[in-house]
Formats: sequence, structure tokens, C-alpha cells
Amino acid sequence: MLNASQIAIRCALASFLALVLGMSVLPAAAGTLESVKQRGTLQCGVSEGLFGFSERNAQDAWSGFDVDFCRAVASAIFDDPSKVTFVPLSAGDRFSALRTGRVDLLSRNSTWTLEREAGLGLAFVGITYHDGQGFMVMRDLNVSSALELNNAKVCVETGTTSQLNLADFFRANSMTFEERAFPTAGEALNAFQSGQCNVLTRDQSALYAERLKLPRPKDAIILPDVISKEPLGPVTRADDFAWFTLVKWVNFALVNAEELGISSKNAAEATSSGKPDVRRFAGVEGGFGKMLGLDDAWALRAVRAVGNYAEIYERNLGVESRLGIPRGLNQLWSMGGVLYAPPLR
Amino acid sequence: MNPRRLPLFYGIAGAWFALVACVAISQAHAQAARAAPETLQVLDEPGRISTEEVVITDGPYARQMVFFRSNEAPGTLVIHTSERFLYIVQGNNRALRYGIGVGREGFQWSGLVQVSRKGEWPDWRPPPEMIARQPYLPRFMAGGPGNPMGARALYLGSTVFRIHGTNQPETIGHAISSGCFRLANGDIIDLYERVPVGTKVVVRHGASL
Repeated sequence: MLNASQIAIRCALASFLALVLGMSVLPAAAGTLESVKQRGTLQCGVSEGLFGFSERNAQDAWSGFDVDFCRAVASAIFDDPSKVTFVPLSAGDRFSALRTGRVDLLSRNSTWTLEREAGLGLAFVGITYHDGQGFMVMRDLNVSSALELNNAKVCVETGTTSQLNLADFFRANSMTFEERAFPTAGEALNAFQSGQCNVLTRDQSALYAERLKLPRPKDAIILPDVISKEPLGPVTRADDFAWFTLVKWVNFALVNAEELGISSKNAAEATSSGKPDVRRFAGVEGGFGKMLGLDDAWALRAVRAVGNYAEIYERNLGVESRLGIPRGLNQLWSMGGVLYAPPLR
Repeated sequence: MNPRRLPLFYGIAGAWFALVACVAISQAHAQAARAAPETLQVLDEPGRISTEEVVITDGPYARQMVFFRSNEAPGTLVIHTSERFLYIVQGNNRALRYGIGVGREGFQWSGLVQVSRKGEWPDWRPPPEMIARQPYLPRFMAGGPGNPMGARALYLGSTVFRIHGTNQPETIGHAISSGCFRLANGDIIDLYERVPVGTKVVVRHGASL
């Protein structure tokens, strides 16, 4: 979701980067893994604060879904989840910080788009969270699907892609609605709360966070329908393919671990499993770690430190968190979602 | 596929047959694929009253419509034991989701069964294994608001397993040392109305090492 000023910033940024690219004054390309090892810590760009994804407490300790991905990568390299330097980045700064080498990796709820790869010279390693625009409604409106929202009064933030998607969705489904547009998300939420509208639309993960701000969160429900694609994932520079591959396979490892039943709680026993795919994952067979420049136990180290995908999800966003976001699309392909990782072999 | 031709269950069905009732427990080989967020050590409390009105109203275990891709026909029940959720497939990539409590046995098997019978306020006959463990339990308890089986029961195949209510709604979302699939009474009543005899039930558990 972008508002007009963010789009302007991005255009300016893209132009600037194109200029930099043309002048060939980029930082040294390859060797990110070597410099991370030399430095002894992973520089990981995260959000300045986003409930469930990236939060810093009073003791300066970071937590969240995006934060845990940084820790998983650090654990695969160092066998130590604490060897991460978190670099909080604004939406406007995030890509230039990655380009200029201020961070080795960006794990900051960023939507994967063509422009960000082809235009900015970046590479998304995959999708860690399938987000999308959704609808929050008051429970007493008694609807269970976005297709039942004909004639609804919908609150939305002005100048966002959400506003455009909203109009498209109603038009495509031959429904009408009354729009109540507000310059900020906070005002849109207030209007929803005071009854100026009976529907609020934003990205679903944000709606779950907004719902917690209501005086009685359980009076509102978030409909299961998603009307846009907002695939979020970690990003690396496009000019270090070995590093890109390493980070990409850490993501695949977390998903494969869930599918194989390997968790932070049973990681120690995985090395003595008789199952070939578990043994390969644990590094007892195959020797795949060396191909990545890592110890053969790299994948198991990541899971031991932060857990498999399900553990990371449920702790930060799901049933064990205040957000309580259903897995939905972010469920394994074999369990009703779309998470699918290539085999670790 | 003709539902009548579905096998009662497969997978680790042998072990399953040996288990007695919803309540048999064998801690020795209880291997949770994914450890439960919390395992409640609560014993059954026959006589404690829970009414038809009790539903889970808040949090992830509240009844709610969710996104759910499935090749199963609408109406099918899908139970994910490690997640503590029961889904009733609605088609159009969605399912109605209920929070459930599961037994440790739930981790040990997956299978395919049918709802063979339905009952309101079922009676309860704790099996001998359970009496041995909790000697204070009655040998028979007639159905009613104080019965641990709760307001409704959906009997699974010819087994002694069932999806039932509970007089302990706080156990929803947990692995309880005894019990098969339990819902709050108001939620099992809601489910009961949606599920005819013959409904296909798919039970899935997480992988294990």
C-alpha cells in the first residue's frame, strides 16, 4: 500500500539509483557472506516498528516475524541468533540502505514487485508472508463474505492503492458502495469506530493490528476475502548471487522444516532420525552446507534458534500472539495454503 | 468417489483400533509432531455445569470463516490436530473454522472416517483405563450439562472416537491428557446442525521425525 507521497519518493529514489548505476560507483558486489563472517554480525534492515513484524521493547530487544528471519539467517551462518545488528529503516530509506551496503539483508515487510527488482537492481528471495487487501466489518453487520458488501459505507485512506483496489473490486462485482476517504489510516479507523462507515479496508495484516485498537476488538471481524496481492519477503542486492541463494534457502529451510515436522523443540533429535529427508536437513547426509559456504548443520541451526515457519508465524502473528491472524494463504500447500518450498537435496 | 467406498480409516489405523474410547492415554509413545503450545494437565470434572450457550467468542479459537484451499467437497470436515482447529469446507476457498481441544492420541494418527451417528447430550461410560487413572470417576453418567461429553456428539465410523462438546470450555486450544476432539457446547451445537450422518472427516497431523 502506497500513498501519493511515498510514490513520489520512490520515483525519486529510482531515478537516483539509475543515475548511480550509470556512474558505476556501486559498492563492491560479491562477497557479502565473507564480509558478514569477518564482521561477525549480520546487518539486517527491519521496520522501525510494526506490530507483529518488527518491534523493539524498552530493553532494546527486537522481536517479530521479520526480525526472526534475520535471526534465522544469522543462526545458519554463526549458529548464534544474537549475531544480528538490527537497522531500523523507514519506507523511503530501505532500498537505498540495501543498495549502498548499509545492510546485508532487508527483512522489512516489503512487497515484491517488478519495479523493485528490475528498476532498483534488487532480488526478492521469496515470499515469507502473503498479505493482501481485506475488509474489517462490525460483527452485527452479519456478513461473512466481501461479496455481501453491496451498498456498504467503506472507510479508506486517501491516495493509496487500497482506495483504487476498493473501487475496482466493487465495480468488477457489480456492487455499489459509499466511500469515506480520510488522509490518514488513524482517521479512517476513528471513522469506522464512530460508525461513519461500517466497513474498513486495508491490508489484512494491518487490519488485525488496527482491530486491537478498538475498545471492543471482538465486535469487529475481518472477512477472509483478499482482493489484492501483497507478497512480502526479504530482499538482497541482485549482484551477489551466492548470498541471494543462501538467504533464499534459509527461507525454504524454515518451510521445509514445518513440512518435515522438525521444530525448535525436537531439533536435537533430528540428527538421529532414520528418515532420509530429515537426515539431509540436519546435515547428517548430503553435505549441502558447504555448497552455500556454511556448516552442514546450517538449516538445523536456524530452526533450533528460531523455530520452523509455523513456530515463527504463530509466535509473532498467529494463535500465540495478540494479533491472532489465521494462517490462511500462509499455510503449507498440503494444509490449505500456498507455502511451497523446493526440496532440500 | 462414493463415500460408502471410503475405508473407515487408514494410516496408522492399527494402533488406533487398540485405543479405547476418547479417553485412553499412553504417555509412553505420545510423540507430538509439533509440541503443543501448552499441555493442560486437567482431569475430567464430571458434574461441572456447562450450558448450551457457551461458545468461544474471542481469539483464534472463536468460530470464524477463514481462507482455506481444499480439494475436498464442501461439507467435508478437516481436522488439523497440531493446530487445534476443525474446518468445515465451504467451497470458494473458504472454510468455517472452530477451535478444538485434542487428546495426545490426536498426534499419533491421521485418517479418513465418516460421521456414523449423531447424538444429543450423550451418556458417558469412562473406559477401564481411565477409571484406573482417575478412580473417582463414575462408571456411567447420563447425558446432561454436567457431563464431560457435552451437548452433542458426532460418532466417527465404528470407532469409539467422537467429536463432542465439553463441560470444560477452557480446554479448547489445548492438548488434554484425555479426550478426542472437543468443542465448547455452543460450538458443537452449531457444528451438529451443519453435519449430517455420512459426512467425510479427514484427520491430519503434523509430520514427525
